Amino acid sequence: MKRQGPIILAFIVGMLMMIQFFTPWPRLQDVYNLFLDWKQVVLGFTYILGTWSLVRYHAKKIERRQENYPYSYVALAGLVVTVGAAAIWKTASGPYPWLFDYVQVPMQSTMFSLLAFFVASASYRAFRARTVNATLLLVAGCLVMLGRVSIGPYISGTLFGHEISLVQISDWVLNVPNLAAKRGIMIGVGLGMTATAIKIVLGIEQTYLGKTD
Amino acid sequence: MAFHDRLMSIDRRIIFLAVGLAVALPLIWPLGFPVEVSKETRDFYREIEALKPGDVILLSFDYEGDVMAEVDPMAVAVMNHAFTKGLKVVSLTTYAGGTGIAERILGQAGRIYGKTYGEDYVFLGYNPDWSGTILRLGESFKATYPTDQQGRSTSGLPLMQRVETYRDIGLIVSISGSALPEYWAIWAGGRYGAKVISGSTAIQAVLIYPYYQARQILGFLGGLKGAAEYETLIAKPGMGARGMDAQSIAHGLIVLFIIVGNLGYFLARRALRHGGTKAAGA
Repeated sequence: MKRQGPIILAFIVGMLMMIQFFTPWPRLQDVYNLFLDWKQVVLGFTYILGTWSLVRYHAKKIERRQENYPYSYVALAGLVVTVGAAAIWKTASGPYPWLFDYVQVPMQSTMFSLLAFFVASASYRAFRARTVNATLLLVAGCLVMLGRVSIGPYISGTLFGHEISLVQISDWVLNVPNLAAKRGIMIGVGLGMTATAIKIVLGIEQTYLGKTD
Repeated sequence: MAFHDRLMSIDRRIIFLAVGLAVALPLIWPLGFPVEVSKETRDFYREIEALKPGDVILLSFDYEGDVMAEVDPMAVAVMNHAFTKGLKVVSLTTYAGGTGIAERILGQAGRIYGKTYGEDYVFLGYNPDWSGTILRLGESFKATYPTDQQGRSTSGLPLMQRVETYRDIGLIVSISGSALPEYWAIWAGGRYGAKVISGSTAIQAVLIYPYYQARQILGFLGGLKGAAEYETLIAKPGMGARGMDAQSIAHGLIVLFIIVGNLGYFLARRALRHGGTKAAGA
């Protein structure tokens, strides 16, 4: 029953959700809304779980004096101060907006903007026209990079006049080969998701129960 | 060291310095490159322009601080456009870190255009489950968000009395640094028939094309360029237009580094071939 229970539950819920999608019957719509509410509640609890896990991880690190453990004090202090500020003064006033604007945002922006430096360095070192495929990737990448910024039309206008437009070439790369590849992947992913969902509903796929074979 | 080796081994600190200057200098001294408006941006603009004063749009802040530099100008421009046209804005965020951003942008726009909270715009806040939120809004806004971000009952807000489901929303605008616009299109658009337009980072914009071509997303802004184009259309140049110069120079520089690296690579290969031929001849 330990194994059959979840399988039966998955079958009933899966079938119910499938049927409600195709029927306007209000009772089933109520069930659908109830399930959406449950989903939000469950996800809300994952935040509690996540916070607990974070506190436990850093507390252990401090307790065992592991490498770089002083940073764990910073992480825990950040958690307490931010949550405390939002709980006491709410998010629109008090220290929370300041913490958000002058601590969180600059840190997140800094991490993300480092990409520009690493992308520049990595593309200089790795983008080599060694094979035909690599050359195609390199040329397409450069054309899109230039075609998607204002300097693109300026360069193509200066070099080739109005005969060739980098913007049009970049648009073609995005609208034809990129679109075809993306659409193919999406259809494949969609079919895979449908197949997996059917397998879970029918009890064929049981890895979510911890069964590995 | 041979010339081709020098071309292939530029110190990374020089590259970092060059990129830093390429980004910083145009922000300090704007170059004013002309902005050519793309069809995607024009369609984005047209969808908002087609709404009548008093219509309600749903603006979703689907991003956090990391991509703010790229997509914030889009959200600011949408608010400028919406309030200039007299549209009402119901707003939410699907990211915990999006609350601060949304409150700042909505508050600023409200002050500039003299709009009243609750009547002209509302910020519903953040719900932990974005997929459930998108689906649930199709059934009931007030049941999904019984209170707004500041804990006020949504039933008591005049604007929210006009909004029950997506049927009461003229247009959904998802400003994002992730794949969220796709889900707005699939669930809000596909299941509930809502009209969706989006603004994404340049890297995510590439993923929007299939939805745009299938008219599931009716228009979109791609990266800072999209923001700059949109600012041009609404005649309110902002950070999008200013950032475009920096991004243009940075992209040009990266392409230049790629060309230099490949030039070194081909010269090295040629030297190796010639060296090999000479050795064979000897």
